[in-house]
Amino acid sequence: MLDETPTQERSAAPRDEVVLADEGFLPDDFVRQLINVGEVDVLIGLPTHNNAKTVGAVVAEIQEGILQWFSRDRAAIINPDAGSRDGTPELVVSASIDDVRRSDARRFTLRTLHSISTRYGTSVARGTALRTILAAGELLRARATALISADSTSIKRDWLRALLKPIANDDFDLVLPTYVRHKFDGLLITNLLYPVTRAVYGLRIREPYAAEFAFSSRLGSQFLGASPWNDEAMKEGCEIRFTLAAIAGGFRIAQSFVGAKSHIEQRAADLVPALRQTVGALFGEMESHFSLWSGKTGSQAISSTGAEHEFTLDPQRINRKRLFEMFRSGVLDLESVFRSILSPATLEELQRITGQGEDDFEYSAELWVKTVYEFAAAHHKAVINRDHIIQALAPLFRGRALAFILENKNASAAGVENNIENLCLQFEGLKPYLLELWTGKE
Amino acid sequence: MALKQDPLWYKDAVIYQVHVRTFYDSNGDGIGDFLGLEQRLDYLQELGINALWLMPFFPSPLRDAGYDIADYQSVNPSYGNLDDFRKFLKSAHERGIRVIIEMVLNHTSDQHPWFQQSRSSQDNPYRDWYVWSDTDTRYKGTRIIFLDTEMSNWAWDPISKAYFWHRFFSHQPDLNYDNPAVREEMWDVMKFWLEAGVDGFRLDAVPYLTEREGTNCENLPETHAILKEFRRRLDEQFPGRMLLAEANQWPADLRPYFADGDEFHMAFHFPLMPRMFMGVKLEDRKPITEIMQQTPEIPVTCQWCLFLRNHDELTLEMVTDIERDYMYDVYANNRTMRLNLGIRRRLAPLLDNDRRCIELMNGILMSLPGTPIIYYGDEIGMGDNVNLGDRDGVRTPMQWSGGWNGGFSSADPESLCAPMILNPIYGYPAINVISQRRTPHSLFSWTRGILAVRKSSRAFGHGSIEFLYPANHRILAYIRRCENETILVVNNLSKTAQAVELDLRRFKGNILIEMSGKNIFPRVGELPYLLTLGSYQFFWFRLRKV
Amino acid sequence: MREMIISELMQAVQELARGFARFLPRFVVLVIIAFVGWVIAYLLKQLARSILRLIKFDRLSENAGTSQLLAKAALPPSSEIVSRLVFWMAWLGFVLLGISVLGIFGMQEQIARFFLFLPRLFVAMLILFFGLLAASFFSRATLLAAVNGNLPSPRLLSHAVRAIIVVLILSMVFEELGIAEQTVLLAFGIAFGAVMLGLAIAFGMGGKDLARQFLENRFLREKEERNEDELSPL
Repeated sequence: MLDETPTQERSAAPRDEVVLADEGFLPDDFVRQLINVGEVDVLIGLPTHNNAKTVGAVVAEIQEGILQWFSRDRAAIINPDAGSRDGTPELVVSASIDDVRRSDARRFTLRTLHSISTRYGTSVARGTALRTILAAGELLRARATALISADSTSIKRDWLRALLKPIANDDFDLVLPTYVRHKFDGLLITNLLYPVTRAVYGLRIREPYAAEFAFSSRLGSQFLGASPWNDEAMKEGCEIRFTLAAIAGGFRIAQSFVGAKSHIEQRAADLVPALRQTVGALFGEMESHFSLWSGKTGSQAISSTGAEHEFTLDPQRINRKRLFEMFRSGVLDLESVFRSILSPATLEELQRITGQGEDDFEYSAELWVKTVYEFAAAHHKAVINRDHIIQALAPLFRGRALAFILENKNASAAGVENNIENLCLQFEGLKPYLLELWTGKE
Repeated sequence: MALKQDPLWYKDAVIYQVHVRTFYDSNGDGIGDFLGLEQRLDYLQELGINALWLMPFFPSPLRDAGYDIADYQSVNPSYGNLDDFRKFLKSAHERGIRVIIEMVLNHTSDQHPWFQQSRSSQDNPYRDWYVWSDTDTRYKGTRIIFLDTEMSNWAWDPISKAYFWHRFFSHQPDLNYDNPAVREEMWDVMKFWLEAGVDGFRLDAVPYLTEREGTNCENLPETHAILKEFRRRLDEQFPGRMLLAEANQWPADLRPYFADGDEFHMAFHFPLMPRMFMGVKLEDRKPITEIMQQTPEIPVTCQWCLFLRNHDELTLEMVTDIERDYMYDVYANNRTMRLNLGIRRRLAPLLDNDRRCIELMNGILMSLPGTPIIYYGDEIGMGDNVNLGDRDGVRTPMQWSGGWNGGFSSADPESLCAPMILNPIYGYPAINVISQRRTPHSLFSWTRGILAVRKSSRAFGHGSIEFLYPANHRILAYIRRCENETILVVNNLSKTAQAVELDLRRFKGNILIEMSGKNIFPRVGELPYLLTLGSYQFFWFRLRKV
Repeated sequence: MREMIISELMQAVQELARGFARFLPRFVVLVIIAFVGWVIAYLLKQLARSILRLIKFDRLSENAGTSQLLAKAALPPSSEIVSRLVFWMAWLGFVLLGISVLGIFGMQEQIARFFLFLPRLFVAMLILFFGLLAASFFSRATLLAAVNGNLPSPRLLSHAVRAIIVVLILSMVFEELGIAEQTVLLAFGIAFGAVMLGLAIAFGMGGKDLARQFLENRFLREKEERNEDELSPL
């Protein structure tokens, strides 16, 4: 049962009025349904768009998780849907448990569980979905909210406990997951997002961009009120902005081990959108948080429950040739663009390593760190269109991915972790270089 | 005012459960008696009840509050004698109040002469009146009811050198209903009281009358046959009298006790009661509506008996483990309050003395289909004493005034049959009849008011029920219908204010008339009917199409 | 005879002197106007330079790619060029004004035509400038999209896009200036009809549904291979 933590006055009070009185951001029918839900202790947000293949199982696990770990608490599932046409909202709503349906196969539950769906648009806009969940959470006075991705097929009911209990019982504000991953899975996170967040913001958050996470009412209200929701920027990358807002606001952050990470439909062609949502947002937020991170050195661990990282090592077939080719041709073709972004030394070094053979290819940690930092600085100065800068990073990332794969081809889990740690230390060590570039001649 | 001659009088009854022992002491010996009870009939008439259920008053060693009977055709001398009883009965009938007494069929006290005879030797004519066995292995698998005190349903009798069967305390041996002599004798006992004028019996512990190997010894067909026979004779010789079953079973298992209207007239709806308490704590109507969905239809001459509390613990036998744990945690945090899979507390302390919540619970009690029972003292909000053993904490003397012994008795406080409640919240200086009768807004006055409103419509006692399922799960709403009367009941189970939209399209064009103030509310149209309710508030609306 | 020559000569000289005398004040006016004009032009140049600095014109032109072009041609940076242009245009304007005062026949008309021409020149310069900016943006967008989409010859595509846009821009400039309108229009129309522009702009815009379908169809063969051989970056 949720502990009755002494209520803390929220400092964001004036802002609440502005948000709730917004010109009908939430549809009327949805507000009416929220009236019927009333107040909840635990809220699960589940944004969807044509996820009928996977959402049924996800919702079943969520329901089980609530019934097992929060059976006495008031709970609700909120489903912001982007206009699905395959019956996804109906699947989510069917997870409600109430006394209206008199099915005999009903399992026993203490309380009513509301599962309500609302349509927020005709195409996916993750920012709007998150905003809907935050607004609903504020109206329902949810003490802890978890955001779950509709295609997390590997989700288990324990995930809700892992993510929500630290919020409910230990007064944390943000709980991010840690996963069991294949050692070559999520390279953008292990080679860029994690080290950069760690070096720049000083916190060792393994998964700063997560498909599922949980947060407290304090953090939710703060983010809802303080963010420029109409900005183009908020449409992309709201998840990582959320994490960074928590860091910037001094909120208590923890991570909790959940299990295996599932992947659906994420392919190489998705690299550029992935970069936009993560690196683009990260570089953007670094702009406004400069005064916060410029003074930090080193990094601190954050409270972790369960393993911080786990790697599976089963052999994976990876098209290394393709990675290499894309890196090589990228460096070649984008030279004119790189000239505006990278320092001459870095560019020269990159051109040198394109000459290497595919099997002994090396993209050293130091070079990668410099690459990333130079990109960050170029993004800050907007030497060319910022979106183009992000796109230009893609082939270089592929090169780094290949190098990492080769480096860790036969490595054990400990070995991989060691290499990642060394990379992080390099990022931390070269932070002065970043600062120099960032504040250098405009 | 004479008794209303109506074969279905029990459908319109409001029953007041009272124990003569702790109601009013007229002779100053510290124990309540029948003459005292008679003197207090005016109060009961003023309250508005029209039936009394008396707890056992037969001679008894009182090791189980009188349910261990030593003589079936007499009155415990502490309470008076048969003449006192008859005098009281006559006065009650004059005031239009019917009297229902206990009839403990299943067992007697081990002090009863029958048992004394039965155990004396194997050849005694009364031997077969009880269930004897040389071993204690018969009827294995039968559950033990008093878990906190008994280890087995068999007890060894050193005099008889055999085991005897007892479903309750070991000093309450079960009668053997396979013996026709037993059945005849028990009918004679009932006849004795019926001839005295008693209007009905509450038959205690009826599921356990007979035992058969290989069963759980509850609700057996043989038991039903015996009960049907009693009913047949009752209808034949004493029409208009009533049989009320005390059978703590799931609704589906209770249904057979109504049979085709030829067994019991009424039965307690045990499973509903804890769910009402659960509903207000969870602030969710689901437990209540679900048990009502599982409640079977009963013959039209039969009636459920509803209650919030009684002389026993608030039993949690008929709930799941999850529910029981929840109820324990929210209502009986202190372990001493827990007993025998139940909670031994009175209504007001259970609800934290929240007046609005007490009113709501009473409102639901009065408006659900069935005959409501008010446990003595709950109409003024009496408290309990968990330090008294067993279930005595809810059986303290009635609090009449703020004076000597709360007006219950003129005897020395130390010699009272049970100590008065004294704490500043529930003690008799704070909670007593005199104060509440003088205050128009007291709980007593309110209860009197709502009983009057309930009486103003037949729909409550005789009507059908149809639940509305508004999306707001904290609202319990239903329609009671009878002939040409339609009543809408809306209850807010939550401590916080609520808004609810009801789908009343079927009743389009009706004006809602709130039944206690008689003010009109907006007419029902096409759109969902919006109501707002305050903390624990409820409405009874009469629907009227002009 | 000699006297006739001398008197003719004297007459001619007197004519000349008279003409000169008539001309001289106007010439002085011209000089004065030219001088005043120079001062004003200089001030305008400074003003222009400040404004350009304020709007970070150099940065824009870097994006447009004009800075690189100028650097290659060993010319001073674009803001400098523009301010100098302003100076020369202004001063030229004043000079021409002064010359018109001289009253030389035929010049007036030409000068008037010149002044009418100036606004169109200005607009043409604007079109050229922003056009080059757009060309640079879209060609870079195409380049990045092609590289990341693993299309063949990304640089070629990028140059093609730039070329087409530049052609479009030039034709608009020429039309504005009124030079060889018909020829250029025709030539451009032909080029514009090419499908390449539509595709390039679509890719440059981030690949809408049609373009995506095209890509998928084009690379369907390779898709199975890719499915097993790539791990998710997130």
